[in-house]
Amino acid sequence: MATSKLKTDRPTYASDFIPSDVERAVFLGNPVLDNMMTSLIALGAEVWSNRRRMKVLEALLADKGVTTEMIEQYMPTAEQEAEWQKDRDRFIDLTYSPLLREGDLPVSAAFTRDNK
Amino acid sequence: MLDRRTLFGATAAVGSFVGGLFASKSASAKPAPMSKFEGDVEPRGTNQRLERLPRLDLESYDDMLTGLRIWSTRAGNRPAMNRFNTLLEQAGLDPQADLELEQIFPAVEDDTLIGTVARLRTSGQQLMWRALERHYHENADIYFDEMEAADEMGPGKLELNPDMEIPEYTKYEIHIQPGGYVGDAFAGHMYHYGTNNFYRAENYQDEIHRNLASQMATPKDGKVMRILDMGCGTGQLTAALKERFPDAEVWGVDIGGPMVRYAHMRCVDLEIGANFRQALAEETGFEDGYFDIVTSYILHHEVTAQKTKEIIAEAHRVLRPGGVYFPIDFETGVGRGRRRNNWGKFGSWRDHRWNEEVWRPDYSSVDFNGEMRNVGFEVVDEGPPAWRSRYNVLGTKKA
Repeated sequence: MATSKLKTDRPTYASDFIPSDVERAVFLGNPVLDNMMTSLIALGAEVWSNRRRMKVLEALLADKGVTTEMIEQYMPTAEQEAEWQKDRDRFIDLTYSPLLREGDLPVSAAFTRDNK
Repeated sequence: MLDRRTLFGATAAVGSFVGGLFASKSASAKPAPMSKFEGDVEPRGTNQRLERLPRLDLESYDDMLTGLRIWSTRAGNRPAMNRFNTLLEQAGLDPQADLELEQIFPAVEDDTLIGTVARLRTSGQQLMWRALERHYHENADIYFDEMEAADEMGPGKLELNPDMEIPEYTKYEIHIQPGGYVGDAFAGHMYHYGTNNFYRAENYQDEIHRNLASQMATPKDGKVMRILDMGCGTGQLTAALKERFPDAEVWGVDIGGPMVRYAHMRCVDLEIGANFRQALAEETGFEDGYFDIVTSYILHHEVTAQKTKEIIAEAHRVLRPGGVYFPIDFETGVGRGRRRNNWGKFGSWRDHRWNEEVWRPDYSSVDFNGEMRNVGFEVVDEGPPAWRSRYNVLGTKKA
């Protein structure tokens, strides 16, 4: 049996319960793959939340006279362009450099470095 | 924003006498929108019958995960099924044969496509539950204030039973919802918003429940004074029934105290005079012959086979002669007893095991219509349509 994570003195009308073991489920043969996919889905939900918030902002801005057309037509200054590209490159490096990692050592591998 | 209405002190006494016995509103009647009661918490206002999720980002999270569920079902199920059948053939099994799960598992269990589609579904659901749980727990006192304000308000009434013993069979985390129906103070909040994901965005205006209410079978003599909705959950069908039969005394019962508490609060918000009681469907506490209609929606697959039998008997007990029992669930209509193909069998097992549908196989093992006959109902196997079926089982208590 388990009880709710919520700790309170208020009346809850809740009882104890029998917890599911779904957190232990492995559907992809390796729990790390399962976990990565869950994180990827969570990341997608965060990204969409940001995009949706942006749509709200654009709608509100439109009410104030800043239209989607004006946003599309906006031309950054050279200084802005350079700054944004720097930020873009940082984003790419952080997000995608793990894809290029060439891991080949099992957990039991002995040290190969000179400074072991 | 809709009109503000203070309901303090306006709790209506719900007597057994109800006027306008034969009145029911047409199914197309405009559904009630949300109002606002004293103490109501709705920071982002309402959208017709929906109290909007309290944060834009939470709403967007739900929107994304619901979209993902729709997409993964549409785009993923068929390729996964094709892969499933191919793997069976590669393992020397005939996909058309009636295979045992023990034969199926070794052939398909480690496949990444099948696993990916399952993971999309399960993880999406887990993330939605987690996001809701976090929000309601982090802001618990605000929502406790709201519920406590609504508990004593009308137009309907709420009967909680904090001392009742909660049977073990009800304590599972059905649908992997944190705490299940009974184990979290915000079970009703989480269920209402979390199942939008399951309903593929057709939940927030009570679309299915209002349709079910419009399909509700009625006694031959047309008298509808009292209605019982067993295992009412968040009270969406209960509310819709009260709207269809505005002059009837309508009750919803559920074992989950937090569920009926939320159901009542929502009806206060909708100004719908349905009543709610924390009680077991197999032991409702109503007197013999009290109701004209007893119904339930997706209750029976959440209880044991034995409890399903007891619930059917309880429905018979509380109905008056001539009253009708119209239970709506998987397989109460078309398809009961139909042999599932191997993909369906595998899917049912996953739903049972990893969606925590603990009692689904139990439910499937019951001769439901036969049990209705056993307790004395006159049974029409192919009764009026309901939910996804062109007919649904209908029982009438013999005179």
